[in-house]
Amino acid sequence: MTIDWVTVSAQIVNFLILVWLLKRFLYQPVIRAMDRREQRVSNRLNEAQEREQAAEDRARQFEKKSESLDRRRDEILNQAREDAAREKKQMLEDARAEVAGTRRHWQQQANAEKEEFLANLRHAAAEAIQAIARKGLRDLADAELEERIVHTFIERLKSLDADSRKALAQTAEPVRIASAFELDSGLRSRLTRAIHEQLAEQVEVEYRRSPELLGGIQLARGGRRLGWNLADYMEELEERVETAFSPAESTREED
Amino acid sequence: MTISPDSVVFWQWGWFSLNATIVFTWGVMALLTLISWLVTRRLSTGTNFSRWQNLLEVLVTGMRDQIRQISHQEPGRYLPFVGSLFLLIAMANLLNVVPGYMAPTGSLSTTTALAICVFVAVPLYGIVYEGPLTYLRHYIRPTWLMLPFNVIGEISRTIALAVRLYGNIMSGTVIVAILLSLTPYFFPVVMQLLGLLTGMIQAYIFAVLAMVYIASATSVRQGNRGSGNPPQSASEPQGEQHG
Repeated sequence: MTIDWVTVSAQIVNFLILVWLLKRFLYQPVIRAMDRREQRVSNRLNEAQEREQAAEDRARQFEKKSESLDRRRDEILNQAREDAAREKKQMLEDARAEVAGTRRHWQQQANAEKEEFLANLRHAAAEAIQAIARKGLRDLADAELEERIVHTFIERLKSLDADSRKALAQTAEPVRIASAFELDSGLRSRLTRAIHEQLAEQVEVEYRRSPELLGGIQLARGGRRLGWNLADYMEELEERVETAFSPAESTREED
Repeated sequence: MTISPDSVVFWQWGWFSLNATIVFTWGVMALLTLISWLVTRRLSTGTNFSRWQNLLEVLVTGMRDQIRQISHQEPGRYLPFVGSLFLLIAMANLLNVVPGYMAPTGSLSTTTALAICVFVAVPLYGIVYEGPLTYLRHYIRPTWLMLPFNVIGEISRTIALAVRLYGNIMSGTVIVAILLSLTPYFFPVVMQLLGLLTGMIQAYIFAVLAMVYIASATSVRQGNRGSGNPPQSASEPQGEQHG
């Protein structure tokens, strides 16, 4: 156990040289390499993070885009549905209006046909009744009936109200008497006398035969007329026939 | 039986004798440098690198971590000194398995030389790190009465450093030599393996102790910084009085 001081100093120098050598060949290069690697790794990580960030951004963008597309699609669909509903409503209304128009047209036509039919019927019925009545009256017409007619006419003349009487009396025109049958002289004088009594003295009376007056007699002076004949009854009959048809028509309309 | 490699002299020139200690130290140095040069010649900075590079990186990283743990400082300035101590001693001890090799660490001259290096390095680091005055104030802490004891402690721990390493390695060699003459074949091999383990542990202990001494020399300012300003300002006038 001796210390050789020469060896000691040599070993100190050796150790210092070793320190320098290892520093030069081991520590510095290895540490530098590790630092570079760390730098590279951290760069890579940063890059990856940036890429991830970018990818996330893009994903978010796409998501947003897709959402907006979805929304747009929904909007379009809703729009289309609304359009379709409106169109449907419009078409239904059109169809309803068309049906109503057709129906109205048909009703008008039906009414026109009905009215025409009724008019024809009225006309035909009146004509038939007139023909029957005319035939019956013609068959019945004799002196007694004519006398009764004249009598009735005179009664009516007598029962005229003041206004009508006045109107008949005021004109200077002659009084014209039209009758369906031939008046004999006795009846004529009775009539003339009655006219003179009721309307005015000295008035001229003209007699005329008029077959269209159905079994009656008519007085005309100026624009006024007074008379009695079966045609009045016929008109009344016609009115009755019409009213007989009308209720049936109104009840059918209600249905 | 030769106990110390110092006594094996290859070449003598005047007062200088080229003994086995120096020669084998050169061998260890050459081996370490060669391996380092071969591996670091083609260093890869990418993720693909050789196993040897990996080994060196693990080694360097491990040493840096150890230094950082012990000193709580950045390992940059201590790594060449402490790391080289560890590598030199470890390699010198490991090569014990080679027949005919004599560990230079089994020579008290080598361990003394290394201990002297530590003895010089501690104040050097301390002075460089915190200035001569602050460093020298170390020795009069807690009072100036402690100055001689601090100085004695400084010297005795250096001697202990040298003798501990020398004793362990020398004893290993001696034990193997004795056992070889008593029970050859099996038992000496076991003791040789044990010697390898002891050698690695001693290398670690030597390096760690060196680091601890350096750290204690450089941690004064660190400690003051940690405990805050008032104690420092309180101690400063006192120090100037004594200076």
